[in-house]
Amino acid sequence: MTMTARGGTTALAERLRHAEPVMGTVVSFDIPAAAAAALPPVLRWLHWVDATFSTYRDHSDVSRFGRGELSLAECAPELAEVLGECAVVRDITGGYFTTSPGGRLDPPGLVKGWSIERAGRMLAGAGVTSYCVNGGGDLQCAGEPAPGEPWRIGIASPLHPGRLATVVTGRDFAVATSGNAERGVHVVNPHTGQFAADLASVTITGPRLTTADAYATAAFAMGDVARGWAERVPGYEAFAVSPDGRTWQTSGFPAAL
Amino acid sequence: MRRAILALSSTLAGLVLLLSFKTHTPGVTGTGTTSAPGSGGTSTGSGPATGAGSADMAGGGHVGHSARPSRPRHRARAGTRTVTGTVASTTYGPMQVQLTLAGQTITKVSVLQRTDDGAESNQIDSSAIPKLIGETLAVQSAHINAVSGASYTSAGYRKSLQSALDQAGA
Repeated sequence: MTMTARGGTTALAERLRHAEPVMGTVVSFDIPAAAAAALPPVLRWLHWVDATFSTYRDHSDVSRFGRGELSLAECAPELAEVLGECAVVRDITGGYFTTSPGGRLDPPGLVKGWSIERAGRMLAGAGVTSYCVNGGGDLQCAGEPAPGEPWRIGIASPLHPGRLATVVTGRDFAVATSGNAERGVHVVNPHTGQFAADLASVTITGPRLTTADAYATAAFAMGDVARGWAERVPGYEAFAVSPDGRTWQTSGFPAAL
Repeated sequence: MRRAILALSSTLAGLVLLLSFKTHTPGVTGTGTTSAPGSGGTSTGSGPATGAGSADMAGGGHVGHSARPSRPRHRARAGTRTVTGTVASTTYGPMQVQLTLAGQTITKVSVLQRTDDGAESNQIDSSAIPKLIGETLAVQSAHINAVSGASYTSAGYRKSLQSALDQAGA
């Protein structure tokens, strides 16, 4: 309920919006205004994740682990958790989410979705039943923005900046989109070594952002074969836009149109 | 289905005018998370100096904002307020728009600045601006809470639809 007209002011549940620059992007929160006190610990934790998992910081746990200076046991336990998630996703995606061309597991490829999902769970743990956390275009939502209304999430068009390709709705769900639109070509098909080019963008919806985000990356690398793959992954749905503007979606994709 | 999608895309085209929005009027949000241009003592650091929500992205202000629940936003929402966009480059040339909001509802869109560099541009303006204004207003019918898209950087956030929503919903 951001720009939405409502009946009367009494029916307007007060919302708090907050945009936090962290992890190289901006994380936007939409929570009840009454839940403001739950936010600072979550923000602090996201900055801790940034410091711990950043591959751009020489002294982060991830950097030191990568250089062999720290064992996994010596790192923050969250690293083992993220690596475990990486391995599961790698297997489910048939190796499309490996991570780096060398096949090494790549925590940074997964950590953003994981941390946004976790940020949502921290809010839930503080009693916040309605939230939307948007980490640079990947979202974890819970509850309803207003009584009786689902969250409505616009999917940015990869071909026409400022426009939407579709809208999805849901209550407790995650939405992740992978594409070339914002950061330039950056996804490589690990099986061919070629840059992924079949799709302009692919969106994955499902219960958890950790997996949805990684699936989106993998599906983008797969290209059009991702459609059949996504149909077989339980609980997750896909929507894609081709470079020529054609779209496809899996049978259960929660499009609102 | 596809026809409907295209139709929606068309109604949202005007959003581009919102993309470089920043809160112009002091106290517009009533929460201290944004500030007027030029007051940007908090706009230092990695945050962009001139983009939408630049003060919002300045790091230090966020926790402080959140720690001030006694300054509820409904105070600002109750009345009419205006937000003024920075000059945006559009396919129709540089433009600046001003939104008037009552609560969260956009009630008026004004063009404060339009191209003035030749007859052709003016001709485009006269026909295109009303259309763009109409499309901007139509955004409300989409009832969007947030936007998913290919990952944006903190710099890209300034141009993102999510940024426009954060600004308008503030």
